[in-house]
Amino acid sequence: MPLDTSAYSLALLRVDGRRWNELRRIHAQIRTQAAADGSSYLEMGHTKVMCVVTGPSEPGPRRGTAGAGAAGASKAVAEVAVSVVVAGFSSVDRKKRGRNDKRNLELQSTIANALAASLHTHLFPHSVIQVSLHVLSQDGSLLAALINAATLACVDAGIPMTDYVVACTAGSTSTYAAGDESADPLLDLNHQEEQELPGLTVATLGESDRVAVLVCESRVQVGRLEGMLAVGVDGCKQVREILDRVVRDKGKRMVLEGTVAKGEGLEDMDLD
Amino acid sequence: MAPNQHVLLSPAELAYLHEALSLTPPIRPDGRAPTQFRPLVAETEILPGTNGSARICFADGTEAIVGVKAEVERTRGYHGDDEEEGGEEKREQEREGQDEWVELTVEIPGYREDDASTAFLAAMLSEALLADGGFAKKLWINRRFHWKLFLDIILISPPLSYPLPLLSLTTHLALLSTRLPRLKSEGDEDPFFDDDWAAAPYLYPQGTATTRPPITLLVMAVGRNIIFDPTKEELAVADVVLAVSVGEAATDASSTKGKGKAPGRSLRLLSVRTVDPPSRVTPPGVPNATNSAYGIAASAQKQPEARTVEAQAVEGVWRAPRGGAKPAVMAALVQKVLERGGVADEVLDALDAVELG
Repeated sequence: MPLDTSAYSLALLRVDGRRWNELRRIHAQIRTQAAADGSSYLEMGHTKVMCVVTGPSEPGPRRGTAGAGAAGASKAVAEVAVSVVVAGFSSVDRKKRGRNDKRNLELQSTIANALAASLHTHLFPHSVIQVSLHVLSQDGSLLAALINAATLACVDAGIPMTDYVVACTAGSTSTYAAGDESADPLLDLNHQEEQELPGLTVATLGESDRVAVLVCESRVQVGRLEGMLAVGVDGCKQVREILDRVVRDKGKRMVLEGTVAKGEGLEDMDLD
Repeated sequence: MAPNQHVLLSPAELAYLHEALSLTPPIRPDGRAPTQFRPLVAETEILPGTNGSARICFADGTEAIVGVKAEVERTRGYHGDDEEEGGEEKREQEREGQDEWVELTVEIPGYREDDASTAFLAAMLSEALLADGGFAKKLWINRRFHWKLFLDIILISPPLSYPLPLLSLTTHLALLSTRLPRLKSEGDEDPFFDDDWAAAPYLYPQGTATTRPPITLLVMAVGRNIIFDPTKEELAVADVVLAVSVGEAATDASSTKGKGKAPGRSLRLLSVRTVDPPSRVTPPGVPNATNSAYGIAASAQKQPEARTVEAQAVEGVWRAPRGGAKPAVMAALVQKVLERGGVADEVLDALDAVELG
């Protein structure tokens, strides 16, 4: 289904009515699952993902699945093992993706590397942090949603980390073939835009400009790249704000409910 | 995930637990009655992109999501043009289903989908669903086309206990909330559907005395005691574990609906599977009399326990159950599930109370 990109220049509104720099609605929850060490649920527009973190724990017996690297290769730091399960019912047409699907494997290794760089894995030698992600519904920006959900679940699991790894996507208003020099960058692509327009996924370390992940799978003129990256990094800052609010709200609620004691030095913390 | 996952209990603890559960009435570690279920959280129609979906959280923290998706498919083996005149009744009789119209996949984190235990779970669930033969019939559109139903069952949490009942109940709810677009075309035309989702009928119409999807319950026996909804620890000392699938028998007229709280629904046994109890692989205890590291026996022989443990049971020393179940126990287990106003009835009632939409 071709996306009518020509309409954008008339009203400067995208197909779903957003402006170029607007994110979709992000709704997140943490500690959604009692049995896990850490868990989260994240919606970015219609993309819905769930994350469950187990660990850091002793590595169990190796099963014959595609393990990331040989055991014993990195005993000094905790291994981050990510598994992504894309539900068959997540896309419009049911498509079953195998566990060893190439796209899946790439998603897994991208997320594992991004998390491993931000988590203090050296504090947990000889252990495994198992991150399992479930995609319930897909509408673009899948990698970004997965990274955000994984970050939230790691926060919930209480694994020390330098900062949130937050991600979002950025695109450009006209296709590569159009070669339009005046193309504007776009923030947070949905599925329709992702199919049609060049886009990239960028993850940064918290509010800093330090890029943790940069994935671009489409052809784009190099001249537009800078603008897209700038918009993406800016979006990540907004996303961090939202995720941080989610974590703080949950923390407040837990203190109010008496689930956890108020930390030291927080006696005058404002709870309302 | 085999039910026999490592339960970290010593032989002494296993012996204690087994003894507590074989008392009359049994004393369960969490103080429940033998037929009492743990509370659960359920919601349906959580994913607008599916035909039906449900999520259930059990009290032990395990959580599953089921999504149902339907696609129109051409029925193979129909060659057309054997056009005969037949009324509406004839057409109804022609309604027939095939088992391959339903595809069920189970996804357990950390397990391959072709893992034996995952395949076994999927087989048990689809077997129960297709057992009554009426389910596939619901997917019939006309002689040339049918719905193909994809049931994707995902366990979200790590598999802490044997997830069969959880997956079964979630599938039940997802199927209850499943809707298929309303058919507008007639006869054997290419199907054409109403695009108004609000008009889409449920696969299992509500408020009528039609059958409901089956449920599969895990029941275990310790001695003569029958225990429902066993926890992982209880499973570790079970003598027999059965997966019993029950469905609601089609009630004649609306006898149960009309008179308020009738005795209960009439249930129908769809399938029974024995599940290899994890207690089989637990390590046996060694009685003091033969413990070479303790007391008198130490000097008697070298390594005698290997043989003596097999030989006789000693009171208070754990010994993994051997052999099959007694027919009387099996019969009692099935009987207990099917009882009017019994456990399966209660579970169905509870699932009834879950709001759709």
